[in-house]
Amino acid sequence: MKKHLMILFVALLSSAVAFAQAVKEATVKISGEVSAPFELKLADINQFPQTQVSRKDRDGKDHIYTGVLLSAILQKAGATMGKDLKGENLAKFASVEASDGYQVIFALAELDKEFTDRQIILATTIDGQPLAPTDGPFRVIVQDEKKPARCIKQVTGIKVAFAK
Amino acid sequence: MAANKNIPVTSSIRRWLLPCFALVFIATIAWTYQPDPIPMGPYQLVYPANFGNRINVPDDNPTTQQGVYLGRMLFYEPLLSANGKISCGTCHQQALAFTDGKAFSEGVDHTLTPRSSMSLANLLWARKFFWDGRSESLEKQAAVPMTNPHEMGQLMQTSAHKLMKTAPYPELFRKVFGDEGIDGPNIMKAIAQFERTLISANSKYDQYLRKQYQPTRLELQGLALFENAPQPAKSIRGANCARCHGGAKTYMELFHNNGLDSIPKDIGIAELTGLPGDRGRFKVPTLRNIALTAPYMHDGRFKTLDEVLDHYSDHVKRSESLSPFLRGESNEVNGKSLALKPEEKKAVIAFLNMLTDSTFVTDPRFSDPHQNIAKNK
Repeated sequence: MKKHLMILFVALLSSAVAFAQAVKEATVKISGEVSAPFELKLADINQFPQTQVSRKDRDGKDHIYTGVLLSAILQKAGATMGKDLKGENLAKFASVEASDGYQVIFALAELDKEFTDRQIILATTIDGQPLAPTDGPFRVIVQDEKKPARCIKQVTGIKVAFAK
Repeated sequence: MAANKNIPVTSSIRRWLLPCFALVFIATIAWTYQPDPIPMGPYQLVYPANFGNRINVPDDNPTTQQGVYLGRMLFYEPLLSANGKISCGTCHQQALAFTDGKAFSEGVDHTLTPRSSMSLANLLWARKFFWDGRSESLEKQAAVPMTNPHEMGQLMQTSAHKLMKTAPYPELFRKVFGDEGIDGPNIMKAIAQFERTLISANSKYDQYLRKQYQPTRLELQGLALFENAPQPAKSIRGANCARCHGGAKTYMELFHNNGLDSIPKDIGIAELTGLPGDRGRFKVPTLRNIALTAPYMHDGRFKTLDEVLDHYSDHVKRSESLSPFLRGESNEVNGKSLALKPEEKKAVIAFLNMLTDSTFVTDPRFSDPHQNIAKNK
């Protein structure tokens, strides 16, 4: 009996270890034409100023999304934003990728507040609650864009590149 | 001509005799001399403009005619397997749109692969390979089945060694890669070059897009259902297939949990990412030649297209990681499933049959060259 219990215990322990190893935390990898690439975790969000954007979802209702301006994230990674966003740097874009392989792009100038007042954020909450697992934990919300196609869900990476 | 009038006939014959002799002599040499059959130079990848130019060819492996020639030889070369019986072409047969018609494929050690062999078509545009997208190039992809002990089961060095001792490979590799010769990376590069040429663009659907084919009423109904998302409030019926399989290539590089299981036995890309949201998520396959590539899904669980349609229409299973567009999409107000009518399923299948490209599956450029050589001997 003792032997069986021991085997059961070891089996449980090893499966618990395997489960702990298998489940990872979702992150957003900022890379490409940036001087300080980094990986953004959910806990890192609080170090950025929070921005709220309201937009309609598929249910036709307005929702308040809270998150960080993409420009602030790119600025931290050392992308050419603000005063550096001129000349050839205007031929740069941010390619945002989701875990299902979906991909959308934004010209850097579309994200910079010196060019536009439209806010594009990496949202982490909807109406004060964490995003649903199928949408988050990170989702881009584009203020006032007519179609939701660029409000890309389950974001895993943002890569800055030059248009060639 | 007037000047020749006075020349005697015999002298005229003599004058022509020598050139005629020379001609016959040259013709005889040409007849017996075997010209180099290996085409050389850059390979022109030809495809329709509506496929787009977002192709995936690595800078260090440009496509050449000689590279494609060698790649085709290697694709069908059983020497690349441990038992000398399995080639890439074993699990990727042209007549079946480069699948093998099985749920799982048998490897050199007689075990079965964990997932179904994928159809090879229009890989020129692909950026993620395998059901879980683990490789970002055809070059890297090729190494996996070749060296996996349960598939072709042979070290690249062993394959290279075998090829070094087999004509015409040493000469062929020299023609393609210069002095680098035969090694693992070059074997994979050549195979990848051949695979990039597997372009399927002449199905009835392509012909319809080129305005060269008028679909039947049933096919057109199927196309409309294929493209539409269901909107019962507006009386728009749809099967929502284009959400993942839309566009001229009927292929978008997406990974989805399509509701096969609530608790998947195979967790798909979650095995690589460890993310709970990726459980049961697999690559969306191309629908090109879909009528030829049964059985369906990563584990070949569905034997027919009817079963596939039944799944999407009525049997999608809920789970945390089920893709959002499969949740609550219905042709009925407040419906729980897509709920396609039997005749609508028939129409979608009629459209899917339009994706069969018979020129692609019979194109001699993609066939086994060793068989042709054997036939000509």
